[in-house]
Amino acid sequence: MICTQIFEMINMGIVVLDKELMVTKWNRWMETHSEIRAEQIIGHSIFEFYPQLKTKWFNRSCKSVLKFGNFSFFSQKLHKYVFPFKSVYSACTNFDTMQQSVTMGPLRDENKQIQYLYIMVQDVTEVAAYEQKLLEMNIRDPLTGVLNRRFMFCRLKEEIERFKRYGRSFSVIIQDIDFFKSINDTYGHICGDFVLKKFAQLNMERLRSIDLYTRYGGEEFCCILPETDLQSAQKLAENLRRIIEEYVFVFETSELRISMSQGVAEVTPDMTTAEELLKCADECLYQAKKNGRNKIVAKSCQREKLLPGQQNRGKI
Amino acid sequence: MNPDKSLFSEEQKDILQEIMNIAFGNATADLADVIDVYVELSVPDIELLGAGELPGYIVKNLQTYSQTVIINQRFLGDFKGSGFFVFPNGAGHDLAAILEDSNPQCCEAIPAVSLEKEIIMEIGNILIGACVGKISELLNTSVIYSPPQAIYEKSVEFNRFLKSFDPANTVIAMKTVFRFQQKDIKGFILVITDYESIEWLKDALDKFMESYQ
Repeated sequence: MICTQIFEMINMGIVVLDKELMVTKWNRWMETHSEIRAEQIIGHSIFEFYPQLKTKWFNRSCKSVLKFGNFSFFSQKLHKYVFPFKSVYSACTNFDTMQQSVTMGPLRDENKQIQYLYIMVQDVTEVAAYEQKLLEMNIRDPLTGVLNRRFMFCRLKEEIERFKRYGRSFSVIIQDIDFFKSINDTYGHICGDFVLKKFAQLNMERLRSIDLYTRYGGEEFCCILPETDLQSAQKLAENLRRIIEEYVFVFETSELRISMSQGVAEVTPDMTTAEELLKCADECLYQAKKNGRNKIVAKSCQREKLLPGQQNRGKI
Repeated sequence: MNPDKSLFSEEQKDILQEIMNIAFGNATADLADVIDVYVELSVPDIELLGAGELPGYIVKNLQTYSQTVIINQRFLGDFKGSGFFVFPNGAGHDLAAILEDSNPQCCEAIPAVSLEKEIIMEIGNILIGACVGKISELLNTSVIYSPPQAIYEKSVEFNRFLKSFDPANTVIAMKTVFRFQQKDIKGFILVITDYESIEWLKDALDKFMESYQ
């Protein structure tokens, strides 16, 4: 009697299936979240109510429990959930569906023969939401909200590996806001922060959804452009240059105009690290600054020569 | 400390080897049914070691592979110890391809490395469970398992893990090499019994023998 009460009151879903995967127990927690009463589901195959569980991984797990007496663990990371229940935390998290950590194990008779398997379902939505927040904090720059330098290096490494394996080219643009120090000195650091945020936002709005926009450091940003050759990247850089040049930043009573210099580089087969590609783009950026700022310099580091049409594109 | 080789009689060692052969043979047959893929398990190799020798033993075995990930899972009961599933790092994608997994909720938001880890954990869990489960069955007992954990070679966790063995104890290390035939991916499983369960194991081995006499 005590066990029955615990079974019904525990803050966790408990389901018992027989060897044919027919439901023999369905506790109150499961009733509440599934909106299926125990008497409706008991005696029926679990697949009648949850046909989406007819998957290789679910089948594999049931068999390993019934054959080996194994315990199976369905991590929230890989599976998100086993039973699609509405999240009770949906208002304060990004999850509409309850995130679950699920364990499956054997139940034996008095002769130690496995007759049933149990499934225990734990709601881990809150934990998953915290984890998501931590992950976000780990990859985003807190001021501008764009991806941070750490993420940039990870992603560049992955892109270089993809390039080596599948030959998919990609390019990067390194941007540097011209005379940024003078904005801080003239209008104050709060204004400087405002400019950085708005600058990042303007760039982000122009990029494609597959592009990545990252803060390299200080007033330097880096665009990672998958499936983009040097010429297309250069065109994009020109678009961005014009957007920034034409925009009027309004901070309190002041109106400001800024410009940026950009270095553009495409990955080449002889590159093995992210640093090599960044070095190439950085050299271009240096050249752009040297050429008078508000300019774009693009080059393929393999060929070691400047491409046409990359000179003076405007005035500071 | 050197292992106490006299802990087991010659007969007990033979029985243990025999149990392992049967258990891993059964596991091979059942695994094909469970994961729909043929996994070859080699004849297990049993060694009695001082726990202090274990780190060296593990590191020596890891040298076969350039980089590895270890799935560690504790099992508890009369028969008590740890199962280790040692897998080449980076082969997780091939593993997913063999298993032809399709999981609708999954997985664009997950970085490739985490996904690979999760897949290796799931399969490691099944393979460790198959080996430990079959041994337990033959020894007429059952065990419970803790969730699997992934440890990467040369990580802080790996060093901590190597230091976690009490050198005063004797352990039994049972090793089998597995191979997924389809893609020729190889790794090994190590089952290490805790010192506390050795007395129980000796009894269980005797009982196993009696049932055949």
